[in-house]
Amino acid sequence: MKKHKMLFFRILMSFVVVLSFATSIQAGEVYKLALSLAITGPTSDAGNPYAKGVEDYFRFVNDTKLLGNDTIECTIRDDQYNNDVTKRNFEDFLDQGIVLYLNYSTGSTMGLKRDFEEEKIPVIPASFHAGNLIDSNYIFLPIASYSEQIIGLAEYVAKNHKGGKAKIALFIHPSAFGRGPVEDLTKAVKAGLNIEIVEVVEHGQDLDNTAMLKRLKSKEVQYVLCQTVQSPVATMIKDANSLGYAAKSFGEAGKITFMGAHYTGGNDLIALSGAAAENFFWTTSYRLTSEKSAGADAQLALAKKYGRDDKAANSHNYTNGIMVAQVATEAIKRVKEKGEKVTRSSLYEELNQMNGAKAFQADTTVGPVTYSKTDHAGVDVLQLYRVDGGVFRSVGVPFSSEYIKKIK
Amino acid sequence: MTYFFQLVLSGIVVGSIYALSALGFVLIYKSSRVLNIAHGQLIATGAFITYALTVWVGIPIYISFFISLLITFILTMSVERIFLRRLIGEPIISVIMVTIGLMSILDGLIYLTPFGSENFSFPLFLPKEPISMAGLSMSWTQLVGVIITFALIGAFSWFFKKSTIGISMRAVSDDQLASMSIGISVPRVFGLAWATAGLSAAAAGGIIGNTTGLNFDTLHAFGITVFPVVILGGLDSILGAVVAGIIMGLIQQFAGGYLDGNWGLNGTGVVLPYIILLIILLFKPHGLFGIHEIERV
Repeated sequence: MKKHKMLFFRILMSFVVVLSFATSIQAGEVYKLALSLAITGPTSDAGNPYAKGVEDYFRFVNDTKLLGNDTIECTIRDDQYNNDVTKRNFEDFLDQGIVLYLNYSTGSTMGLKRDFEEEKIPVIPASFHAGNLIDSNYIFLPIASYSEQIIGLAEYVAKNHKGGKAKIALFIHPSAFGRGPVEDLTKAVKAGLNIEIVEVVEHGQDLDNTAMLKRLKSKEVQYVLCQTVQSPVATMIKDANSLGYAAKSFGEAGKITFMGAHYTGGNDLIALSGAAAENFFWTTSYRLTSEKSAGADAQLALAKKYGRDDKAANSHNYTNGIMVAQVATEAIKRVKEKGEKVTRSSLYEELNQMNGAKAFQADTTVGPVTYSKTDHAGVDVLQLYRVDGGVFRSVGVPFSSEYIKKIK
Repeated sequence: MTYFFQLVLSGIVVGSIYALSALGFVLIYKSSRVLNIAHGQLIATGAFITYALTVWVGIPIYISFFISLLITFILTMSVERIFLRRLIGEPIISVIMVTIGLMSILDGLIYLTPFGSENFSFPLFLPKEPISMAGLSMSWTQLVGVIITFALIGAFSWFFKKSTIGISMRAVSDDQLASMSIGISVPRVFGLAWATAGLSAAAAGGIIGNTTGLNFDTLHAFGITVFPVVILGGLDSILGAVVAGIIMGLIQQFAGGYLDGNWGLNGTGVVLPYIILLIILLFKPHGLFGIHEIERV
């Protein structure tokens, strides 16, 4: 009897050992990533859909076994746009053993830059501030910098303006985020870009922009280029419409054409300013769901799969979130394909090799994602959009800034 | 000269909206000596209620605006009843800390709704074309905002000067013990002060929301933006709120109109009100119309 018991015990133990091996093989590796951003608090109108994009895409990767049995575990935490909380979150994520970090704001990216260098961890922020890349090796911007976007808009103005030299004003956020492109645009003008910067306006909590708009009009400003968030732009274009100053078409004589970089536009601008948003020109590297494309269809399908409402599904910040998750996933996939271990260092190397034939063709952007040791701005091409009939529509084909290369 | 008068007009428009936003601070301070830190959240709440009634329920905006005033009136009265009434007689700092807590609670509740992280705008209900006269222009939104502001300020002034309840509120503000000794219900006065402050905040929210669009960050930030107005006018003076609001509006417009863009200056409209506030407070520490209390020891 005792012999039988022993035999049964041995069989049972062997079964447990085999099963645990099999399970561990089937479970695969878990790659830890993390994101700290403003899901609530200032700028959460951008952060909230961005977080949903990241979350949904990683869920999709795991659910559809895009990485085989390996999975991505991305911890997403709300920092309420508070840099102290972001730092605390980042330190906590490091303790968890993350291999890649997704950051959010310009302030926290600049503030944590030294930590990223010390930890040697690749970071993809939602901030496209060119200054993020100065004295930094580990930050990878998803798309062209704000500077490139503003210079790109200014180049479009210079090429398409009828009459002498176009007079422009910059309408910027009073922070590093807003001020970043001013110096670069000034450099581009010195390098020969045929526009005149008449004034740089740093906005506040303005309830009425009449004085500013009248002043710009008296200085014959024809184009206002905005580098801020949607709310102040909405108030300004409402006032301009009310005063009869807003151009109905690009460069309409005697009127002002309003244009802006990534965070000034999108459906949020239309939601805030209604009909006053008509003829607002906007540039970004992302595809929009208002236009048919494989990327837009995939985005809407993803949103539907994970039960997102229409507002999130059609937000360009949802696209933004999906795209950074796609880049992270692609880097992990390529490291795995090489048979290497997925670490901070291997992901960093892989991202730096994402160029030429190895450029990543993301369906969410208008051009390929390319990084190298000397270029950490992902998508280098931009698409110009214009509000027409209450939705953003493409204007022309994707373009890249010429002067950004000249001033580098 | 047209430019100058346009700046004056814009300054008065903006200033009157500041005055209405500041009124809520004054109404509470005037009767209870408490500074309500959650005032910006009340402004946002009023705007969001108006939007929800108009767009989601389908009530005409004119009616939903007045319903939102009523709802915010009841809401703030309830807040006072639940959280603040038990603090009567406690140190003022405790009450202020409760209003900070209230701010966090309201923030959290609003973030649970779509208003926390999405943007909206009121449906167009006024003519798009501005009112233009002699080269000056003003939007219909601004005109309606100014009319509502002055109507409410006039009503509150009358209420405090002529009505029995208003006089009771002033009496409580002067001396709670003496007021109680002549039969005034101090808790009731406090409740009413909060309720009227909520009402004025909702009105301000509706007007600001129609101007800037409905973005929670922008709306609740006005609770802080109007702070210099409240201090400059004197924390306990309705007239002070109006005068200081208009002064601030004019300063901002003139700074934006004449200083910004010249001599390398920028953003003076944001900074100048604070500089002027400091200078005035050096000479009049209780604000332009604040009461300087003399205590006999």
